[in-house]
Formats: sequence, structure tokens, C-alpha cells
Amino acid sequence: MMFYWIRIVTLITVAWLGVAFNIAAAPDGQALYVEHCSACHRMQGQGGIGLPLVNTKLADVSDDYLRKTIRIGRPGRVMPGFQRLSDAQVDAVVKFLRERSGTVESVFGDEPIAGDPVKGEVLYQEHCIRCHGADGSGEGKGTGVTLSRERSFLVMPASISNKGFLASAPDQMIRRVIEVGRKSSGMPASKGKLSDAEIDDLVSYVRSFEGYAHEDRSLEEDEKPTHVYESPYDFDTTVDNVKAALTGANFRIFPDRLLEQGLIDEFSVNTRQIGVRFCNFNVLYGMLKIEPRLGVVLPCRITILEREDGQVLLVVPNLRVVSRWFNNDELVGLWDRIEQTFIDIIDEVTL
Amino acid sequence: MSCRSLRLMSLACVLLLSPLSIADNMIMGRIPLRAEIVLEYVQSSIEEHGYTIAHLQLCDGGMTDFGYKSDLYRVVFFGKIDEVRWISRDYPELVSYLPLKIAVIAEKDETLLTVLNPEALVPFFADEAIQIQLGRWQSDLESIFSDVRRQTASHGTPRS
Repeated sequence: MMFYWIRIVTLITVAWLGVAFNIAAAPDGQALYVEHCSACHRMQGQGGIGLPLVNTKLADVSDDYLRKTIRIGRPGRVMPGFQRLSDAQVDAVVKFLRERSGTVESVFGDEPIAGDPVKGEVLYQEHCIRCHGADGSGEGKGTGVTLSRERSFLVMPASISNKGFLASAPDQMIRRVIEVGRKSSGMPASKGKLSDAEIDDLVSYVRSFEGYAHEDRSLEEDEKPTHVYESPYDFDTTVDNVKAALTGANFRIFPDRLLEQGLIDEFSVNTRQIGVRFCNFNVLYGMLKIEPRLGVVLPCRITILEREDGQVLLVVPNLRVVSRWFNNDELVGLWDRIEQTFIDIIDEVTL
Repeated sequence: MSCRSLRLMSLACVLLLSPLSIADNMIMGRIPLRAEIVLEYVQSSIEEHGYTIAHLQLCDGGMTDFGYKSDLYRVVFFGKIDEVRWISRDYPELVSYLPLKIAVIAEKDETLLTVLNPEALVPFFADEAIQIQLGRWQSDLESIFSDVRRQTASHGTPRS
């Protein structure tokens, strides 16, 4: 019993020290920006995979909007929500952005705007739909301003129906953006072209996207990160069957690579664990335009393992699970379709 | 103290003392140096962390051969033989994610480093042993990124 309590006290102490360690360290906004934001927004905020954090844009938003955007992110639009940063760390990043840009926040009231969303929809279709799309998700391909990939606009228009945006931006801020536009991304100002009442109607229509039924992209509860199949054939036959099935599905097959290859000398390597790698360059190139980071998983590999008891397993990544790690709805849609191709290949191999 | 308690404490240490800076399912970093140089620092730091580099995949080369344009795009595969053998024996469902890999992507004169955060896999496993291993990999990868950031900040020569 005593040992039990010693263990509990020790664990609580370790936990307390961990929390205290993180609280005690004064957050350095610049260091946090470099660590968490610069990968996408680049060192000076020029924009990369993420949007440019230019002065004109920062001047038009409140600190609260920035804080919520950091916390919630943009679900499905690459930017993650930084849930694990402390409030002090988020504040430090916002402070750093303000100091670097020399901007002060625009403060907006919380009072909702009571326009007419029905009239707003008509105006939206006339003035906004070309860039923001019928469902407000932002028309066109690509995000950010860098990486050699296809995009329809210099900067992909904001997804104004995104839950993260709607939770971060109060009505009064949306109103101001419509009024003054966004020079940095080519959005024109509406002040002088639309009446105050019409702008209110547009704001109410944008707010109505909160009730928009987004496609359900959730996974089944028991979905695993890989599919594991038992082959009814021996190891060599299984490898041959996999290659034949991939060739039949118009994939190019690369030279075999053993799972342990390169990690140990060639005489000690296990030759009964092999990765059959395959590719369709056209599809791959298309995928890289949608998600340049997919090199971190390189999903087109079927691993074939012979176990000590002679059982042969085929292991394939579950693209439905993997795609969701990228927080990129375009990739999710594509890989949900490709996943079926993988399943069909394995079915053919294990029949 | 039992092995189980030690494992629990190790897990607590890994989870609580690691920086509260893990961004979702990807660990990413931008280095203001050309990718060819950063690649050397990355490989050097991986080896300093006790891993063996299995191979370097030239993704851009393959695409260029087939007429597709790409900036420098390399994937460094690395691992520890004991870990790979243990995983393939006890957790074969994880072999799709081994060896570990870091993507090195050129963006003009800068370099984007990106890697799957092994912690993304934690929710799929109730087993303590594999959770601790995934936490260790996450910690090592964070450390490798920090090393590369620190070493490239001085723009020095990679240690051999």
C-alpha cells in the first residue's frame, strides 16, 4: 500500500514540475513564432504554405481574432489549431506579430449585425461568389504563395464558411473587411459601391454559413492507421501477386526495398520483410499540388512480412486515416477515393 | 519499484517535460538556408541521435525523369534496427510508418522540414510500451529539428 502511495506522489510531483517548468519559462513570442508559425507563414510573415501576415491585414483585425485563429486554426484548411500552447504563449505570439508589423489592433464590438441573409445571398452571388465560391469555402486550387504547385489565385481566397474563421471573426470585423477590402490579396473595397444596409445583409449571409451542413468527414470509431491482411499464399507468391496486381492497376513498380535495408549490414538483413513501392507519377504530381508535405508518409507501399510461424501479412496504410493528419480537405477527398483502389488490389492479391 | 511503475513514470516524463509546442499531427520547421546545406545538417543530427540513415529518396529526381517540374524534394529514411525488429514482430500494423522519415523540401533559398508526429498514432494503441516508444520518437524528432535550427543559425559547417 505504501509503495502505491509513493508512486502516486512521485507521479504528481513529476506532473507538477512539468507544469511549473512550462509556466516559469517566460514565453518568447519571436521564438514561438519561428518554431510554430514560420514553417508556413515564413520568417518575415511573407506567406508560404500559409497566408501572408502583412501589415495591412494585421491592422484590420483584433488581437482576439488572432488569438482565436491560433487556438482553433482552420479545420480542413492546413492550418492546425494550436491547442497545446498556453494562453501566455499565444499572447506572446500575438504581441510579437504586433511589434514586428508596427500595427495596433482594430477593436470590434460583439454586437451581432441584423441584416437580411436572403438579400445578402443575392448580393453574395453578384459580388463574392467568383472568389469565395458558392459554399464560401474559397474557390480555386492551392493555398499560400509558395511551392511550385498549381493555384488559381496568388493567394487562395479565405474560406469564410470555415468553422475556425466564423468562430474567430465577429460580425463587426466581417463588416469592416467587406467595407475596406483586402489590398494584399486583391479583394476590392465595397464601401461606396454598396449601401450600409447591403453590407449588413452580406454579413448576415456570411454568418448564416454557420448553419451550413459541411460534408461529414469523420472516421469510424474502430478505424486503424493501417490495414493488415493475412495472405493465403507463401511469401514469394504473395510478393509476385502484389506486383502483378499493381501492374494491372497501371502503377509503376520501383525496385524492392527490404524493411531493414540500410539499417544493418546486407548479410544480417531480414529478406522476408519487403516493401513493394509503387507510383503513378501523374497521380503523385496531382497529389503534391494539393499537399506538398505528403513525403512524410509516402503512402504507396505495401509491406509484406513473413512471421516466424510462416504466416504472411500484407500491411497497407489506411489513407482515410493518414489524410486526416494533414488537415487538408482536398487531400481527404482524393485519398478517400484512392483508398478503394488499395483495397481492390489487396482483395485481388488475397483471393 | 516495479517495471510497470518505471514505465508509467517514463511516460509521464515524456508527456509532461516535452515542450508544450507540438502542433497537431505534423512537426514542421523552416530553415533560412538552401536545402542542399540543410540536408547535411539533418543527416548529421539524425546520426547524432543514434539513428542509422537507411536511404535518401530523391523524389524530385524521379518526377523530373518523367517530365514533372519540382524543386529539390528529398526524404531521409532512418531508424534503429532493434526498434524496427521489435515493431515488426510485436506491432506489424506499424511497419507502414517505418523507417521514420523527414521530408526536406526546397522553397527557393529556404528549406521546409516536415515530419509526421509519431504522437498522431498514440490514440490507436492502448499499450503502454508502444505509447512510450511513440513519445520517444516524437521527442527525438523535436530535438533533431531544434538541433538543425540551432546549428544552421550560425551558418557553420556541419559536424562530421
